[in-house]
This record gives sequence, C-alpha cells and structure tokens, in this order.
Amino acid sequence: MSEVLAPCAGRVLPITECVDEVFAGQLVGPGLVIEPPDGIQTVVAPIAGAVMKIHPHAFVVVGEGAGVLVHLGINTVRLEGAGFEVHTTQGSTVSVGDPIISWDPATLPSEAAGQAISRQVPVVVLDAPADSLDLSDLPADVVPGASLFALP
Amino acid sequence: MPSRTATIASSVGLHARPAALFVKQANESGLDVQVARPGEEAVDATSILGVMTLGAKHGEQVEITAEGKGAEQVLDALVTLLETDLDAQG
Repeated sequence: MSEVLAPCAGRVLPITECVDEVFAGQLVGPGLVIEPPDGIQTVVAPIAGAVMKIHPHAFVVVGEGAGVLVHLGINTVRLEGAGFEVHTTQGSTVSVGDPIISWDPATLPSEAAGQAISRQVPVVVLDAPADSLDLSDLPADVVPGASLFALP
Repeated sequence: MPSRTATIASSVGLHARPAALFVKQANESGLDVQVARPGEEAVDATSILGVMTLGAKHGEQVEITAEGKGAEQVLDALVTLLETDLDAQG
C-alpha cells in the first residue's frame, strides 16, 4: 500500500480544524492539515508521480492511482505568487521527497484582497470519499518525509 | 447532448475552493457531467482532479455538458454557480 509522506514540517491537525470550511468539510477530499513553523523551507512531493498542476502556492501530484493536493496556506492564491519559489514544472515526473516549492510562512501577510491568510497546509487526497483514510495513528509533529497515512 | 457555456466568475479561477464547490454540485446531480474549454477535450466535472487539472481561469469560457434526466436544470444551476464569484463568499 502506498503511503503519503509529509511534504513539510509542522504540527499535524485534523482536516476538520482547517480554517477554510471547504477543506474542513472534506469537499476537496480527506486528509489533514500541517501548520509549518517560521523560516524558509522547501515543500516536497508527498508521493511519487506526475506534477499534474503547479501554482506558486499549491500543487497536485498524481501517482499510485491517486492525486494528492498540497496547498501552501489558505487564501494564498491571493498573493499571486509573491513569496513562493517554484522548483518544478507542470507535467514533470517527481520522486517522493523532491523539492517542489520554497516559502517562509513567517513572511505571509495577515490578509490579501480582504481575505484572511493562514499558514495552514492542507494535504488532501483528491476524489477520495470523506473519512476514507485511516488517520488514527497520526503524529503530533512531523518532519518532511515522515509517514502520514496510506492511500485508499 | 444538452450543453451550456459559462464564463468563470471566480476571481482566482476554478481553483481549489471554487473547484470543490462546482464538483460537489455536479456530483449531487447524479448525472454524467463534463466540462471543457470550447473545442478542447472535456474532463469529468464530478472529479476534483479533473476540474483542477483543467484549471479554467477567471474570465475564461467553459462548456459544460450533461446527459440524463433533468440535464437542462442541472446545467442551468451549474452555470449560475460558475458565474458567481465563489471566492467572494469566503
């Protein structure tokens, strides 16, 4: 069974505690939230596969029969790429742990275009039913590359 | 097959949150719903991966098609959703 590894360091929270209600309601998919610490850091691929979509603030890797979305912060689309450095291109093949995007959560503004910005990083399995992951054994804190959960 | 053209109103395009709301509504219809840029290959509108891969941007036109009972109403509702700025609702 394939595993999803932590794309970044931080405190692990249930997806239901995401400040974005669409993520919290698992409308994007089941998963979890990582709250990263301050400091420049590089977010890495949580699974091996193809980079199906890359934005400065979010990416999707498709592999192992699943698509995993990593979203760097909430409402960060409003920053239009400022503060994010992208290390890959759409369509590239990546190995688990490959660098994807660098950022520093400490530099995020509190809001952009009238929307509150959060540093929360949802890690979500796309098109999987709500509550379909076994998240019973989650660590409280992770380092990049730590095991998070198995793909359904 | 019934189809409609809609202009993406969400200021950030059909990104994570607007895409999720669109896919939820498409799924709730129970129909086979597809979405495409005009003249291009369609993706499954009930797949968040499909819709996010399409990556339609603000102001872009997309064509949505649906097959089955009540398809016209389903399409009308989906057009209304796409032509609303889903991000403005927080």
